[in-house]
Amino acid sequence: MLLKSVLEEVKKSDSAQNNILVVHLNGLLQTDDRLALHEITRQLHLENTVGDMVFGSFAENLQFLLEALRSGDETSKPVIFILEEFDLFAQHRGQALLYNLFDVSQSAQTPICVVGITCRLDVTELLEKRVRSRFSHRQLHLFNNISFMDYVALCISYLSLRDFPDQDFASRWNKNIKEVVESATVRDVLNRQFTLSKDVRGLLMLLTPVICDLSLAHPSITASDFVESFKSLSTDSKSSMLHGLSILELCLIIAMKHLTDIYQEEPFNFEMVYSEYLKFAQQHASVQVFDKAVVLKAFEHLVALELIRPMDSRTIRIQKEYRLMTLLLHPAQILDTLQKYPNCPTDIKHWAASSFT
Amino acid sequence: LLSRATPRIPRRSGHLTSPETALEKARTRLHVAAVPDSLPCREKEFEDIYSFVESKVLDKTGGCMYISGVPGTGKTATVREVIRALQQASDSGHLAKFTFIEVNGMQLTEPRQAYVRILKELTGQKATANHACELLDKMFCSPKGPRRDTIVLLVDELDLLWTHKQDVMYNIFDWPSKTRAQLVVLAVANTMDLPERIMMKRVSSRLGLTRMTFHPYNFRQLEQIVLSRMTGLKIFDSDAVQLAARKVAAVSGDARRVLDICRRATEIAEANTSSKLVHITHVDAALKEMFSSSKILAIQNLSTQEQLFMRAIVAEFQHSGLEEAEFSKLYTQHLTLCRFEGVPPPSASELNAICWRLASSRLLLVEEGRLDLQMRVRLNVSSSDVMCALKEE
Repeated sequence: MLLKSVLEEVKKSDSAQNNILVVHLNGLLQTDDRLALHEITRQLHLENTVGDMVFGSFAENLQFLLEALRSGDETSKPVIFILEEFDLFAQHRGQALLYNLFDVSQSAQTPICVVGITCRLDVTELLEKRVRSRFSHRQLHLFNNISFMDYVALCISYLSLRDFPDQDFASRWNKNIKEVVESATVRDVLNRQFTLSKDVRGLLMLLTPVICDLSLAHPSITASDFVESFKSLSTDSKSSMLHGLSILELCLIIAMKHLTDIYQEEPFNFEMVYSEYLKFAQQHASVQVFDKAVVLKAFEHLVALELIRPMDSRTIRIQKEYRLMTLLLHPAQILDTLQKYPNCPTDIKHWAASSFT
Repeated sequence: LLSRATPRIPRRSGHLTSPETALEKARTRLHVAAVPDSLPCREKEFEDIYSFVESKVLDKTGGCMYISGVPGTGKTATVREVIRALQQASDSGHLAKFTFIEVNGMQLTEPRQAYVRILKELTGQKATANHACELLDKMFCSPKGPRRDTIVLLVDELDLLWTHKQDVMYNIFDWPSKTRAQLVVLAVANTMDLPERIMMKRVSSRLGLTRMTFHPYNFRQLEQIVLSRMTGLKIFDSDAVQLAARKVAAVSGDARRVLDICRRATEIAEANTSSKLVHITHVDAALKEMFSSSKILAIQNLSTQEQLFMRAIVAEFQHSGLEEAEFSKLYTQHLTLCRFEGVPPPSASELNAICWRLASSRLLLVEEGRLDLQMRVRLNVSSSDVMCALKEE
């Protein structure tokens, strides 16, 4: 975003407009030096390209590019290399591309400028020492140090209309936006989102459903839209998965929770879960006692949902009743779900809360 | 088509503006690319290499020399300067003519491409790696053939020419020992003990014992380097240069770094004040920019929940005494902290998203894969740094 606006700003000046070659590379697309080299030659329109095809082998391409860069001096067009996902370029074999780019930038050849973009803070530690020596160690950290007031102002500016043909509607809309965002409920929602993460993309994710809900019947944004949107963003995926389980599967989950509690994170197998389940079910009349085969089926269903995970990935050797499993649910998640589960028998709730059977 | 193509970057339209102010002049001179005609503080090394190559050229024999030193100590620049001086001598007739070839290991896609490079530089013809090797062998080893000029071969980044059979290195060091070859090889690499460490006996024996080490610059030398580039310009406070030199000498002794810092300092001086002199404060600002770790600042700019998560991690580490914790434990710890602070707790999915976000900026190190609650989390900063960063508020 910043880089784009800078490039646009630079290109506005006349002398720069026809005088800059920009090469965009992305670490996710150019996964090795050969692909990156092809891309550079293609974007620079060097002479060994015909149309969009690049000729010659990898070695020839490298020599060609280096000679092209070496032949240039102060009078040739400056080239700006933009390397997105820079940390992935550091994982190329030998970091040859980075070495050569930095080397050209540090010697009297074609004037080039290498701009790397990455999310990793320790990216210079990834560089080999001779590459690091050539790197100019200029870093620009873009930290998100906006305050909550800025965040609210940002939210308003994202939602309000500018340069809209219908002036009347625009002013009404903007007024409405201001009122809604200033209201206490929306403030609260924004504050929750702000404490979770400060980044603007999170804010946009929150605002998108709000905008999408607009229709002729519902022409203006209300505070409840924000609440709904935040609720859908912040729901725990596992808890909502638990809501879709049957009573039997829920019982198994609770049994597993007790097993992990009692044996302190030791793994369990199906037989242990089944006996724990039987102990509970036989004492309480309200709970139906199922056959072992049915319970096993429910158990496998849980495995398929990845709510429980086998300890080792070898599947064939051991019978499935005796495979060691671990529970991938936090006790807080289980208790939370049981509170909201529709028509949950009281016995089960009790059993979940206490470890006694 | 390829043979006719000439590699070239398009010319720029319009002229470059030449540097106007003193600061701009200083900046062009401080650029790493602006190598001076004679390198300060490398006179002895220059003499040694010069006399070595000169004697070989005069005697029309061959030989090897191994040059090592950490990056940024002027190895390649010195060798190039020697070659330039020798070429001047041969132009004025004091010395026999010789050919200079340069091969850089980093600029080759694989070690055997070195043959192709050398052949192309010598004769201009193109061949595959195997064929080039045969042709070069014939050229250097056959007893007959016209007498040629001596060839000086500079092999930069030698360690990258390592192959499993080490045939490339073997050939490059073997050719000078042939009587007809008249080849002088100057091998440049970073580590001092490279021949002993990765070369086979028969390769390192051919390399011989003519070795030279470039020591890292000390602060006096670094200061002299900067000042020599600044002759005639009154730009730098003498203390400012000394600070930069001392700081770099303490860490690496890399000349590139000191030049970068001084360049940055001129930029800061230009942006901040209208003064024509670069003061010690400007250099200090540049040093802070380039050397300081950004992690503490990054932690201070995290959102509240993210900071809380960092604290949860530190608390869990102190509780368990280990430097590693499972995500489920951290979640429990985080919930307790939330209750303690009176903020609404995040759901597990949200906390997971927080954890991954911190991991992508490498404040945390987490296990790959779909381990979920059993994912093990480590700090990538020391826990005292975390506490220090969070306490300042």
